[in-house]
Amino acid sequence: MILLNLAWRNLWRNTRRSVIVLTSVAIGVVATVILDTLSRGMIFQMLNNQVGSHVTHMQIHRAGFHKNPVIQNTIADPERIETVLRSDPEIVLYSARVVTFGLLSSATNSSGISIVGVDPERERSLTTIRSYIVEGSYLTGAPREIVIGKALAEKLEVGLGDRVVAMASAKDGTMGSELFRVAGLFETFSSEFDKTSVYVPRSSAQAMLELGSEVSEFAMLVTDPDRLAEISKRLRSRLGEEYEVLPYTDLLPFLVLQIELYDQSMVIFYVIVGIALIFGIINTMLMSVFERIKEFGVLKAIGMKNGRILFMVLTEALFLGIIGTVVGFLVGYLVYLPLSTYGLDLSAFSGSLRSFGVGAIVYPVLTAGVITNALIIIPLMAVTGAVYPAVRAMRLEPVRAIRYV
Amino acid sequence: MTNPILQTKGLEKIYENDGVPVHAVRGIDLDVFAEDFLVIAGPSGSGKTTLLNLLGALDTPSAGRVFFEGTDLSSKSKSELASLRLQRMGFIFQAYNLIPVLTALENIEFTMMLRGIDKAERHARAQAVMEELGIAELAHKRPNHMSGGQQQRVAIARAIVTDPAVVLADEPTANIDTATGKALLDLMERMNSEKHITFIFSSHDPQVIGRGKRLLCLRDGRIDSPRE
Repeated sequence: MILLNLAWRNLWRNTRRSVIVLTSVAIGVVATVILDTLSRGMIFQMLNNQVGSHVTHMQIHRAGFHKNPVIQNTIADPERIETVLRSDPEIVLYSARVVTFGLLSSATNSSGISIVGVDPERERSLTTIRSYIVEGSYLTGAPREIVIGKALAEKLEVGLGDRVVAMASAKDGTMGSELFRVAGLFETFSSEFDKTSVYVPRSSAQAMLELGSEVSEFAMLVTDPDRLAEISKRLRSRLGEEYEVLPYTDLLPFLVLQIELYDQSMVIFYVIVGIALIFGIINTMLMSVFERIKEFGVLKAIGMKNGRILFMVLTEALFLGIIGTVVGFLVGYLVYLPLSTYGLDLSAFSGSLRSFGVGAIVYPVLTAGVITNALIIIPLMAVTGAVYPAVRAMRLEPVRAIRYV
Repeated sequence: MTNPILQTKGLEKIYENDGVPVHAVRGIDLDVFAEDFLVIAGPSGSGKTTLLNLLGALDTPSAGRVFFEGTDLSSKSKSELASLRLQRMGFIFQAYNLIPVLTALENIEFTMMLRGIDKAERHARAQAVMEELGIAELAHKRPNHMSGGQQQRVAIARAIVTDPAVVLADEPTANIDTATGKALLDLMERMNSEKHITFIFSSHDPQVIGRGKRLLCLRDGRIDSPRE
């Protein structure tokens, strides 16, 4: 305890110097925490946007459809799937969809698209796509309505009420086509999604593609997304190998990989910030050691071993690191709180953000990873910075050190 | 006759000063016995502090041997020598050298903490020694709030609180006035006679020299005139 006391008091021998180092550590931590929470916010927003607007928590397809989404690979007995989903207590909502790729043409232009045939009533609660409607309305259930992205409408030079023709390969190998009337335009977080996705009534899609009552997929929401692994395993065992049950982590592997890569890259980022701080710590601790050469000589003379000298100097640096980190984290948290409520308006960069599927307002996300990265890595780096000064103190010869002026 | 606590045989110390070899100690044979009150005297540069450092295992000889309680110190590692100093020796320095951020009580407890003595015991022992040396009222003062004499009393308390076999004092009265010096010497004499602690001084202060039960005069690193 005396050693800890001694280390603590040594820290405040030169208050101004310690405060300067603490401030630099704190500023580094504030900047890192804000950057980290905002970056995580962007990634989570990308993921939540995709999951919420279209992908949903989990999807069921006929086996192989995810890798090879051809119209022939459909679910022939959707009633069986519905029976299973209805009886599962952890499935909150589900909806059957028809999904295929095709061409959408207007009088002036055409564009390759992903046609999604949905049950408007069920889809209303399942996804958030309705909230992105900027002109007209979402599908009302009337036949041959189509909802398209605003960007696609501009490309095709169509507006509300205009007619467009969708074409795609039907299940029997013929070319299916259907005339639709534009009922609504949406503008989502992703310009790419707006250019390539259209929504039509499922019955119209089934008719156009000669599917009868067959569907391409079931999309669903569960009560607790953290239990997706267990739920999907249970559904797999009930449905058999004929079907694939894919949680969003399998449906959006790139985004999930991005999150994992981000976690690892942030550790490296914290280490880099820590390395920058190390130089301040080395300087401070070296000055502190040089100022106390005589004292280290006395400590060694009265029998203090090198291990304890090392412990004392490292503890001083640890205190610096901990105080600086805690202060920096608290300040960072105070900045984070309003940002997490009101978000950070990045409208100036909305174009590039939309291309990544992120909205113009970014909400930072504070995770356990942010807390552990900041509270562990930075103090550890501070201790690392004190190793060299501590070794210098350990190498002092008591006789010379005591005489040092 | 009892065995010496400290013994030197053919002790030599040569160190370099700006590249010039300086023969600080030349072939000293010395026996220090329990309860000695030995003063190593001599003019500046005579080698008395170097000899004290060699006796206190703070420095290593260039030639010759130092034996502490019969053990050759040259066979010990630095860590073992640190343990020996901690367990069996006490040190008093000319400039007191208390730890400035610790109170008097904490300074005295410090060596006991290094020895692993539990908090209650070291607290009790430190307070007892402070009472004995008449410095109890200084317990919670830091060195910068004490006079030189008070600091040296605390340094003495720090040196003797662990009941060492020998206390080595380098010019202990050099930085304090005569009256305070006399009081400190009285104190150390009392510790010597009552607690049977062996004291070895290096000093050129006539007051200290006069108190020595044994006197060893050094000149140019050699024993000039021993007085028993």
